[in-house]
Amino acid sequence: MKFPSLLMPGLLCALVLLTQSVQAQEARSGTFKAVQGAVTVGQGDAKRPVASGGGVVEADRVQTDATGSAVLMLRDGTTIAIGPNTTVDLTRFQFDGTTQQGNLAIRVLQGTIRMVTGLLGKVQPDNVKVSTPASTVSVRGTDFIVEVL
Amino acid sequence: MNMRLALLVLVAGLQACAPISRVTLLPQDDGRATAVQVQSAAGVVDLTQPYQTAALQRDGRLEAQQSNAEEVSKRHGAVLALPLLPPVRFTLQFEPGTSTLTPDSQNQLQGILEQATARAGGEIQVIGHTDRTGSPQANDTLSLQRAQAVRNLLIQRGFEPALVEAIGRGEREPVVPTEANVNEPRNRRAEIIIR
Repeated sequence: MKFPSLLMPGLLCALVLLTQSVQAQEARSGTFKAVQGAVTVGQGDAKRPVASGGGVVEADRVQTDATGSAVLMLRDGTTIAIGPNTTVDLTRFQFDGTTQQGNLAIRVLQGTIRMVTGLLGKVQPDNVKVSTPASTVSVRGTDFIVEVL
Repeated sequence: MNMRLALLVLVAGLQACAPISRVTLLPQDDGRATAVQVQSAAGVVDLTQPYQTAALQRDGRLEAQQSNAEEVSKRHGAVLALPLLPPVRFTLQFEPGTSTLTPDSQNQLQGILEQATARAGGEIQVIGHTDRTGSPQANDTLSLQRAQAVRNLLIQRGFEPALVEAIGRGEREPVVPTEANVNEPRNRRAEIIIR
């Protein structure tokens, strides 16, 4: 009688914590490293300012103005340096850390990015794409610049 | 009048020369071969040499050209100046048959935390690995459990949970390749990546 009633709140608490922990780990597709000047991230009208350590999720749009720039690292290690006056969408990001497989699609709408590919580019290069309004870049190597003028 | 018209033609001409987009292949640090493929409605261009560029022109043509380090640095100084720090790696060992770190490995945790905290947006990945005793499925589970145990230690010592990730790689990446069902302590480890 006493024992079960004592056990239940503890179990519930542990379950909530575990769920939160798992959610926090699963939700994030990547993390901002260096951030300078004005950088925002979000979807639709829900934009928020970016700080070092801030997260990014699939379908987010990152925007910098003339004073802004940022370095974003995705969970597979892909690193994207985002220059000033740039708009870039993380269109698709799926990555299974156990098998190191997934998909990555990035769209550069305006400005300049430098991309150094991570595990996805090495394990499944065909599943990594960078697109501009009128062209698509397929990854075979690891370090390149895409600019939309 | 004529001068104004001439300027207008010049500006139009310059605009006609400016591409819509451009892709530039950069050299790899280790000097290995690298390549990207650029595709548009007008065709496909393979960039295989460092500093080669593919420019998509306004008239739809996709043109490959060879540039050089100086030119690329001049045009893309802002983005090339952004710091891309290489990751730092550690290997931690477990007491046999457990998810408990050896004392020597536990002693490394503080240094790991200090290095991660010193980085802008610093993160830690904990990757668990097993040897090949037991089934591959069981080893996926065990390696993840071990990684999560280390993750919990890092969080207990104050590291931000959202910035530390546990991954189980099972028996896919042995340090010492073995036959199935071979006990190999060196393969039972957690790899720490600070990035």
